[in-house]
Amino acid sequence: MTDKPSKKHDARPPDPPDDVGENDRPTLNPPFDVEAFARVASAPSEQPRAPSDAPTNRPPPPAGAAEFGLEPRTDRITLTDEIELEKARAQSMARSPRALTSSALSMANARSPSSPHVEPIGASPEGDGPAPVAAPSSIEAAVLDAIGESAPPEITERTIEDPVAEMRERFSLGDYTGALEMSELILAEEPEHLDATECGENCRTVLENMYAARLGSLDRVPMVVVPRAQMRWLSMDHRAGFVLSLIDGSSSVEMILDVSGMPKLDALRILHELVQQKIVSFR
Amino acid sequence: MEKVIGIDLGTTNSCVAIVENGIPTVIPNRGGYKTTPSMVAVTEAGKRLVGHIAKRQAITNAENTVYAAKRLIGRKWNSPQVKNSVATSSYRIVQGPHNDVRIVLRDKEYSVSEISAMVLQEMKLIAEDYLGDEVGKAVITVPAYFNDNQRQATKDAGEIAGLDVIRIINEPTAAALSYGFGKNVEKTIAVYDFGGGTFDISILEIGSSGVFKVIATAGDTFLGGEDVDARVIDWLVQGFREEHGMDLRQDRMALQRLKDAAEKAKCELSSVRETEVNLPFIISSGRNEALHLQRTIDRQTLEGLSNDLIERTVDICRQTLADARLAKEDIEEVLLVGGMTRMPKIQLAVAEFFEREPCKGVHPDESVALGAGIQGSALVGDKHDMVLLDVTPHALGIMTQGGYFEELIPQNTTVPTHRTKIFTTSRDNQTAVKIVVMQGESERAEEDELLGEFILTGLRRAQKGTVEIEVNFEINADGIVSVHAKDLETSKEQSIEVTASSGLTRDEIRNMMEGAKDYMVERRSTEEFEAAKQEAERFVGEIERLLPQVEQIVAASDFGRDAIEKARSIVAKARSAIAKRDIATVKGEIEGLSRTHRMFKGVVAKTH
Repeated sequence: MTDKPSKKHDARPPDPPDDVGENDRPTLNPPFDVEAFARVASAPSEQPRAPSDAPTNRPPPPAGAAEFGLEPRTDRITLTDEIELEKARAQSMARSPRALTSSALSMANARSPSSPHVEPIGASPEGDGPAPVAAPSSIEAAVLDAIGESAPPEITERTIEDPVAEMRERFSLGDYTGALEMSELILAEEPEHLDATECGENCRTVLENMYAARLGSLDRVPMVVVPRAQMRWLSMDHRAGFVLSLIDGSSSVEMILDVSGMPKLDALRILHELVQQKIVSFR
Repeated sequence: MEKVIGIDLGTTNSCVAIVENGIPTVIPNRGGYKTTPSMVAVTEAGKRLVGHIAKRQAITNAENTVYAAKRLIGRKWNSPQVKNSVATSSYRIVQGPHNDVRIVLRDKEYSVSEISAMVLQEMKLIAEDYLGDEVGKAVITVPAYFNDNQRQATKDAGEIAGLDVIRIINEPTAAALSYGFGKNVEKTIAVYDFGGGTFDISILEIGSSGVFKVIATAGDTFLGGEDVDARVIDWLVQGFREEHGMDLRQDRMALQRLKDAAEKAKCELSSVRETEVNLPFIISSGRNEALHLQRTIDRQTLEGLSNDLIERTVDICRQTLADARLAKEDIEEVLLVGGMTRMPKIQLAVAEFFEREPCKGVHPDESVALGAGIQGSALVGDKHDMVLLDVTPHALGIMTQGGYFEELIPQNTTVPTHRTKIFTTSRDNQTAVKIVVMQGESERAEEDELLGEFILTGLRRAQKGTVEIEVNFEINADGIVSVHAKDLETSKEQSIEVTASSGLTRDEIRNMMEGAKDYMVERRSTEEFEAAKQEAERFVGEIERLLPQVEQIVAASDFGRDAIEKARSIVAKARSAIAKRDIATVKGEIEGLSRTHRMFKGVVAKTH
């Protein structure tokens, strides 16, 4: 089994000077210079790429990252909790386009089961579709544009020789999202696979309970706290947009789960993210 | 006086009303809406959804959401209406064991009456929540063209829902009742009913003695506001395609949002000249970005999109008047019923066709339910002048040589009644005749509804036209039709009893009633638990919020520590009971929680 660390973005902000520590980095007073940030974020890195087997140095966050809700990194490696892990995984899945290889199971191939991908009419398979509606005046839009202009992410595939063992291992390590991904990949190849079915169900139950616990009682009524006029400048995908459209200030979380038509886990995950992003709050 | 509710069981929306202190009132549902979508769905988890909540997921869960069940109720599997529905519905329609229609939701088959019963049960609950008491009796409305089987199926639905349906009345009659309530009206009126799924036009004669007679009725069961919504959706999809090169129809979530937005825009355009459709993040561009739909639609565009649909309704009105041999001048009042009639263009089209301004005195969404409520109140009260008589909705007769329909009992005949007619043989040496009992208005028997048939044998061999057979039709007070055929020479006799059938046996209805009762018990128990849980959780939250302060205040005293321990124990018990869904314990703990909360509040208040 080969395992190469993947390089997510070629374009990343330059490292800070050596004498500036993680905690004594100068902070920018709001409003910070969005255009400067966008230029920095989209500029190609001049740093030579690290070889694949070399230890990875974590780059510091770009200046102004704190303003986007990104927590500053520390030198100590901390274990993330399952919710954070799950969130990162979901974001990663949403970002990277996936293509299934014919038979070998690949880590990069996991596909969210209920995220329909609609090909643009007349668009090339490479995805040269029309540009989305942009908001030149908004901070989020500027940042998104900057990220959008950067080079596409490089995807590295990892072939798994024994997916069932991998699934079990992940489950035993508490990586339920990873185990669920593996079970879905196995079931895609072998729909009657009992172990994968059972493990997938268990993972789903654990993850659903986890998100439900984070959201509190399912009787709670969520409300959209972002003004309608500003909503389009938020950063979210169409599935989150759909869940957001179901929040009417009178429907409880349970009702939203019922009407979303999505797998419960997906709907819970999206709702949790909307709450985390402070787009939605509870009464 | 016993409460009787009136229910307008519509194709797309239903409404419930009651007469309170002499005033007919529509009862709003829990969401505050006066109409409830006639939709039923079953979620992936097997949960039943009825009304608005079912409508909100109708596209994302299309295979398991039933809408417009009314188009199927009481119909035979091989009827053209059923075939049409099979071809156009997103849910699965299959043949039932009695040549009836069944609907499949999550691999379980339901009869159409059962589905309608779920909607009726919801309306019953709405009324019970409002009245704070159980409701047993109801008057339900049906389209004037419904035959006996369809009416019986509607009655069966009421029975399954736990209602005693004391009368089935025609929708236009109910609208006319609502219009004539408290007035002494004697007029010929037209009821133009353009609802969400169907269009009906009925001409009624309101007599001085409170007799409401349907002279003519016609319509299109596949023409309604949903067709207008579909046109708006097409327009939005096309615009988006031109702008972004993407087809929104490929994504169910996008389509669900489009459907809701199209309906909202259509409604808004009845009162404003233009409105904006704003659907952010409607679809993925496929490049990790979501696209937004933002478009302004004006009234003129909507009218352009729906012009041909409006024209179709006017054509039906024209044909109906012609069939009834009535002139426009004979119509003294036009009532507008159904949400679509709020559209200014429709009001204009009706006014132009009938050459008179339509009446503004009836509520388009509520008048039918209000009329049913008025009738219900009259049936159990002492206002007998408003009581409608049971009439035959369609003519009854037999098929004769050449495939013709010979009418014995005309449409709108008050029951009980009986009629007799003499027929003769059509062939020489004919020893048997087949009596085919039919219902309908068409002269061609094949276009009418077959109710039953039997053979009278042992006739004397003779030249055609010489043997006389007396056919007698009798309808008793319960609506049961008996047909007797008698050879007048030999007095040999044969007969048949025709009972309207919904396609369900008594056993099936009983089982469905049991199922509906169980569902209600479960639902009530869940609601009761949820209410207790919410109350308990509110106290727990408050106690936990005050706990650190109280702990600090009473830390010095033994009594205080005891109280804190007790409070913790009560909270833990309540939490455990909530987790186990143990309703009795949750309810039992509420008093203790409330006491603790009061005490904590008192302690904190005293120290401040």
